[in-house]
Amino acid sequence: MATISQLLVASVLLGGVYALVSIGLTLIFGVMRVVNFAHGEFLMLGMYLAFWGFTLWGVDPYLAVVVALPGFFLLGGITYLVVMRGIISSSHSVQIFTTVGLSIALQSVALLAWTSDFRFVRPPLAEVTVRVAGASVNLAALIAFGVAMACTLALFAFLRWTHVGMVMRATAQDREAATLMGINTDLVHGLTFALGIACVGVAGVLLAPRYPVYPTAGLQFILIAFVVVILGGLGDMVGALIGSLIVAAVEVFGSYLIGTAWREVLYFLILLAVLMFRPAGLFGQRGAENLGT
Amino acid sequence: MLLELTSVSKRFGGLTALRDVDLQVDENELVGIIGPNGAGKTTLFNVISGFYRPDGGAIRFDGQDISGHPAHAIARLGLCRTFQLVKPFGNLSVLQNVTIGALNRERRVERARTVAEEIIERCRLGPFRDVPGKSLPIGLRKRLEVARALATQPRLLLLDEVMSGLNPTELHEMLDLIRELHAGGLALLVIEHIMAVIMPLSQRVVVLHHGEKLAEGPPAAVAADRRVIDAYLGEEFAVAEA
Amino acid sequence: MNRLLQLSTQHSALSTRLRRHWPAIVLFGIAALAPTFVRDAYLLDTLVLILLWGALAGAWNVAGGYAGQVSLGHAAFFGLGAYAAAVTAIHWELSAWLAMPLGAALATLVGLLIGYLSNRLRGPYFALATIGLSQVLLIVASRWRELTRGGEGIPIPFRPGFENLAFATKQPWVYLAVLFAVLVYAVAVYLESSRFGYQLAGVREDENAAEALGIDSRRLKVIAIAVSAFLTSILGTVWAQYVGFVDPNYVFSFDLSIKFALMTIIGGIATGIGPFLGALLITLLEAYLRASFSGGPAGQSGIYLVIYGVALMLVVRFLPRGLVLELADRFRWRRRARRAEAQEGEQVAAGTH
Repeated sequence: MATISQLLVASVLLGGVYALVSIGLTLIFGVMRVVNFAHGEFLMLGMYLAFWGFTLWGVDPYLAVVVALPGFFLLGGITYLVVMRGIISSSHSVQIFTTVGLSIALQSVALLAWTSDFRFVRPPLAEVTVRVAGASVNLAALIAFGVAMACTLALFAFLRWTHVGMVMRATAQDREAATLMGINTDLVHGLTFALGIACVGVAGVLLAPRYPVYPTAGLQFILIAFVVVILGGLGDMVGALIGSLIVAAVEVFGSYLIGTAWREVLYFLILLAVLMFRPAGLFGQRGAENLGT
Repeated sequence: MLLELTSVSKRFGGLTALRDVDLQVDENELVGIIGPNGAGKTTLFNVISGFYRPDGGAIRFDGQDISGHPAHAIARLGLCRTFQLVKPFGNLSVLQNVTIGALNRERRVERARTVAEEIIERCRLGPFRDVPGKSLPIGLRKRLEVARALATQPRLLLLDEVMSGLNPTELHEMLDLIRELHAGGLALLVIEHIMAVIMPLSQRVVVLHHGEKLAEGPPAAVAADRRVIDAYLGEEFAVAEA
Repeated sequence: MNRLLQLSTQHSALSTRLRRHWPAIVLFGIAALAPTFVRDAYLLDTLVLILLWGALAGAWNVAGGYAGQVSLGHAAFFGLGAYAAAVTAIHWELSAWLAMPLGAALATLVGLLIGYLSNRLRGPYFALATIGLSQVLLIVASRWRELTRGGEGIPIPFRPGFENLAFATKQPWVYLAVLFAVLVYAVAVYLESSRFGYQLAGVREDENAAEALGIDSRRLKVIAIAVSAFLTSILGTVWAQYVGFVDPNYVFSFDLSIKFALMTIIGGIATGIGPFLGALLITLLEAYLRASFSGGPAGQSGIYLVIYGVALMLVVRFLPRGLVLELADRFRWRRRARRAEAQEGEQVAAGTH
């Protein structure tokens, strides 16, 4: 029998992790103006990292985060150099199909390497429950939330208070002007992409103990990320945070009230509704969806 | 009166880009529009041609109210505009570009193509007939922009800075073309930045400043107008003209 | 004498027009003749699939190529057509020929909705919306048990006969597939030579510029998408009758939507023959891979999906006009360069250079 506080706490905890998934996506769009359709596949790779780390070397996923962060940062950088850099100034179609192609390629590589079997990560911590704010909560969920929030806040701080962060925000606002100011936009884009991938890779590691791991696992989370990001406004970091909370609440309360079967329909309908009536999102600039770059 | 603007205004949030602008262009008139950057010249074109809705006032073309009508409907009535940042159909050839313009009036593609060929010759784009738009240098792109607009068989042509970015030879050719079009009966509303070009060309000049009409009249009178000199032209130009 | 000249110019004009379409004439001609000479069911089956996939890619091309509206959710229309056949067959024993317009009508309505969205959303936003729509339909189809038997899908009862759009042998299917392929190709030809098509080209190149030339871009886009939806749905019905089984997780899948786009892009976007060439390439590749990697189901789908993913990335970036056009162009350019060199050589030798 779940109480309101139980559901609320669950929403917040889940929202925190969704925030980490989405923040990378919205950052990449904000600075690079590219919608990364392959974002979910990096999350999937993070999940597999947790799985193999745990299965082969008994490394607890929450420790694996330490490796995941720099690891996915590097992976993001490489992906930028090989794939993304060439399409920054290309048309929408080229960008869409390139990231979709990357998504397909990554999924299939995972499929080939690790088969379509569902894998499960069951670290000892995942079984423990604690009491928080009058609700009993899975310790794994709590830790995931903690790490996710730490990363998210670190990213916010980075963007707000460091020189490099300011440079990124400047590029996001006006790429041409940034170039004219002597900013190496190529470097900024690469850094942005690497950061975005680092975030989502870590999110994958954090989610592994609670969800099955399989090659197309990225799809269900990326859908959520897109709903979050569009709800909050593409490129809007705070919007992504609030959007994550809203979507997590919808998921938790929705699952409780109407069951999981129609949950996905709910997401898509929210997505479609937002795209139709307020495509700029709750916080985005109106008309943003009509301006290309 | 072919084109008549009465008290036209346009606001963007808190910024008033156009304030109570009155403007007339009659059949076969060549009217120039000048003003410093940010004066609202292109905004004016956008409002006239239907790309922006006016927030106040009325626009009449050939007696018909066209305020707030969609751009394509206005173009079909015979009011055509070019873009300051030229927009060629990059992957299509010059001939295809102009043919699409001609399809504004022609229903059949063969007929439109014939019209397009004539206009291409007239605008001296013949040698580049089959070259894709994106392969053209800026001077030719500007000419293509004009040719394509011409193909729509307009009664009034709005030219937005078609001469900026051209070298002296190209400039002369463009000027000749515009004079030819005017001589042929077309009405023209021309935004231009290059004083030495627009003044001798226009029958009448309108000066915009901060979204308002500052002055209007024959070029010489406008050039001598104190307010215009202060706001825009500067002393040197006035002295040179005197 | 003048009359003869007139006739001969008319004749050469027509033959020039037809000559442009020689790849299509050859392809469809061979396909139409195949059943007379080939008896092997597997080969004929491959041919039918190439033609159907080509037609489906061609239908996507109307919206994604000619109109420039990149949809990643065309499976929505395909699935509606497929389900129209399946649902009417099991509930009301309706002939597929009657189901076809029903599915097409529904798909066109959905297409109009998508068209409306295309006027409000650009690029990736629009693509996302189309994905969303196809996924909603997938979920609805797999949950609405009373109508669609849910996730287990619908096996279409086999009642052979032309009136039911079902045949016991492969030969009639080949002829039917050729017919639909020619239909789709004809639509492409229309788009390349008609006023509507020219204006649509302007819209896809630069919508604002097109508007300034008197083109109602919104209306044109909606029409293109509706036509695309209509064609895709009809082919979905045909496909369902051919394959005999409708699985929601397949007919509404994102992978399928990608496939339509992939084939067109590889073959040549916004061309008539491109989708068919892409379909030819992909189908043969799939057949080859299936044969070589016959061990292990996971290995199979994994391998060609990797190739699709990489191919998509490479083609879109380096060969944007499609594999076939770009290669043909290079070949022609090299021939022209060689000819120019030869001419120069002659001139030098003759001392006229």
